[in-house]
Amino acid sequence: MSKTLLKVENLTMKFGGLTAIDDLSFSANNNEITSIIGPNGAGKTTVFNCLTGFYKPTDGQMFLNREDKTVNLNKFSDYKIAHKAKVARTFQNIRLFPVMSVLENLLVAQHNELMVASGYSVFGILNLKRYKDKEKEAVEKAKYWLDIIGLTNRADDNAGDLPYGDQRKLEIVRAMCIKPKLLCLDEPAAGLNPKESSELNKLLKFIKNDKKTGILLIEHDMSVVMGISDHVVVLNYGKKIFQGNPTETRNSKEVIEAYLGVDE
Amino acid sequence: MSSELRTIIKDSLFTGLISLALFGPIVGLKTSSKGAGLFVTPSWTPVIFLVSACIIGRFLIGLNSIRKKEIGFISKITSRVSNYMDNKGKHFAITGVLFAVVFPFLPFTDRYIMDVSIMILTYIMLGWGLNIVVGLAGLLDLGYVAFYAVGAYSYALIATTFGWSFWVCLPLAGLFAAFFGILLGFPVLRLRGDYLAIVTLGFGEIIRIILINWYEVTNGPDGITGIPRPTFFGLPFKKIVEDGENSFHTFFNLEYSTMHRIIFLYYLILFLALITNYFTLKIRKLPVGRAWEALREDEIACKSLGVNPTNTKLTAFAIGATFGGFAGAFFATRQAFVSPESFTFIESAIIVAIVVLGGMGSQTGVVLATIFLIGITEMFRDLEQYRMIAFGGAMVLIMVFKPKGILANRKPTITLREHNSK
Repeated sequence: MSKTLLKVENLTMKFGGLTAIDDLSFSANNNEITSIIGPNGAGKTTVFNCLTGFYKPTDGQMFLNREDKTVNLNKFSDYKIAHKAKVARTFQNIRLFPVMSVLENLLVAQHNELMVASGYSVFGILNLKRYKDKEKEAVEKAKYWLDIIGLTNRADDNAGDLPYGDQRKLEIVRAMCIKPKLLCLDEPAAGLNPKESSELNKLLKFIKNDKKTGILLIEHDMSVVMGISDHVVVLNYGKKIFQGNPTETRNSKEVIEAYLGVDE
Repeated sequence: MSSELRTIIKDSLFTGLISLALFGPIVGLKTSSKGAGLFVTPSWTPVIFLVSACIIGRFLIGLNSIRKKEIGFISKITSRVSNYMDNKGKHFAITGVLFAVVFPFLPFTDRYIMDVSIMILTYIMLGWGLNIVVGLAGLLDLGYVAFYAVGAYSYALIATTFGWSFWVCLPLAGLFAAFFGILLGFPVLRLRGDYLAIVTLGFGEIIRIILINWYEVTNGPDGITGIPRPTFFGLPFKKIVEDGENSFHTFFNLEYSTMHRIIFLYYLILFLALITNYFTLKIRKLPVGRAWEALREDEIACKSLGVNPTNTKLTAFAIGATFGGFAGAFFATRQAFVSPESFTFIESAIIVAIVVLGGMGSQTGVVLATIFLIGITEMFRDLEQYRMIAFGGAMVLIMVFKPKGILANRKPTITLREHNSK
């Protein structure tokens, strides 16, 4: 019953002589969590950078199925991926706006809607009610997400002053504020303690089930990967070596070889 | 003798050595021409004086840092001031504006003080304009004086050619400056930090050199003279009135005084500066203002959230330039004369210093820094070219006691607390 959300076909990314991704094809489904795993340097983050428009792939196609139409992600570059194609992402090393408040961080994520409502600042300068209402709506939305991650009482503090685990969660809900169809998370559990990472699992399941957002996840923490993924794609040296559900992945000979080496 | 004292003495002697190396050749050796040749005449007395001043000064600072009392006292005052600003900033701002409004009628204000205040207000306006680009958007612009120049020359050329009034020329000057802002913005979109600073510095110089060399239009180094003085809603500030004409003093039945025009100029720049301030405070709370600050913090994160960095940066450049252009138009009408000499790099440097030392992004900080820097420099005007030492000294003082700027605390543009209380 689940429909394909993301379809990657023959994706290749070369940096000079180095082939970071080699003819990679995979798909991710709606309302599912798809994990991309693999040893360091396997090309996972490069896949994300291609998907989110930070790199232009050397070859291959990427399609996103939305209710209304299929979007070709190759046609969008940097900021337009988030704005037009509705693909959101987080980063391996957290990229919040540290000296801006938590609430402001979430408002920047709603920039494009607010920009239109403020009449590209003209209505805003004139103090029109239309903009004020829209701004209130945006704050309510931010508050909704802050309630979910339990940071409402820190809304007015600087994002940089939050503990590490909260910063991770904030970055995820900030990405959710652009109302994405596909959310790409780059190692969200890195540096989290067991309690924090189980909270993260809950948050991701909530996003998947209640927000009907497809999640693409890069992760090294196997408790997270095995606990919440519906689907696992394993990369090694830029090639896909396995695709299946978590149990299959755990038992796959290729995957074990890639991680642990081959018995000579 | 304690070890602390020994390090202080060592420190002071080392300072003495450095100052000797500096002052020795610069002050100690003088060239004088006698007849055909050029001779070096050494004069060691001032060198000895300066070097010993440095040694004693360093020694005293060292002693102070042992006791910590004096320094602690100063930083206590400064932290109190910034605390006060955080809590009562609004009261301070209102008092400041009221004071500025009644200022021309206070008993001690004379022509000289008014001239200095007009200059300070011009710099405050420029500081506020640049604060949008540097403080909010984080784009270090070392060529801001270019927009000031574009505004001044646009006003001068339009007013002398077409004879239009100040209030028509002012928006045009702003528009021209905004156009140049975008023109500069495009090539530097990909640049940040040091690279951006160098390119903008070059841009400032390009504009100045064009003004010098485009003789047919700008009249080159001679500048443009006879720029119309501002009028009070059509009433000129003229002493000699021809029949059938009105002047400011005849219309209001006043004794003629040159102060009328000065006071009018003062209110004009105060008005323009306050508009700049109002606009900046307002736009900071709008999506575009938040996007500027977000862009300053992390451009990649901005892109991942769908913020268009090109448009955001260009609006910052354009709006910052517009206010520079307004200030330039005011400068032109006040001086009635513009020449490329007024738009050298040092002007850009002063404005950047005002913004940085005031505390990036702080509007009140800009005011305090301007009064401090320009005021101190003016107080030492009698020292002629040495007054730049006072300027440097004021900068050093701010950097020592307030390394992040006079008012460095950023306030959120919107708070949940306020939202909930509504």
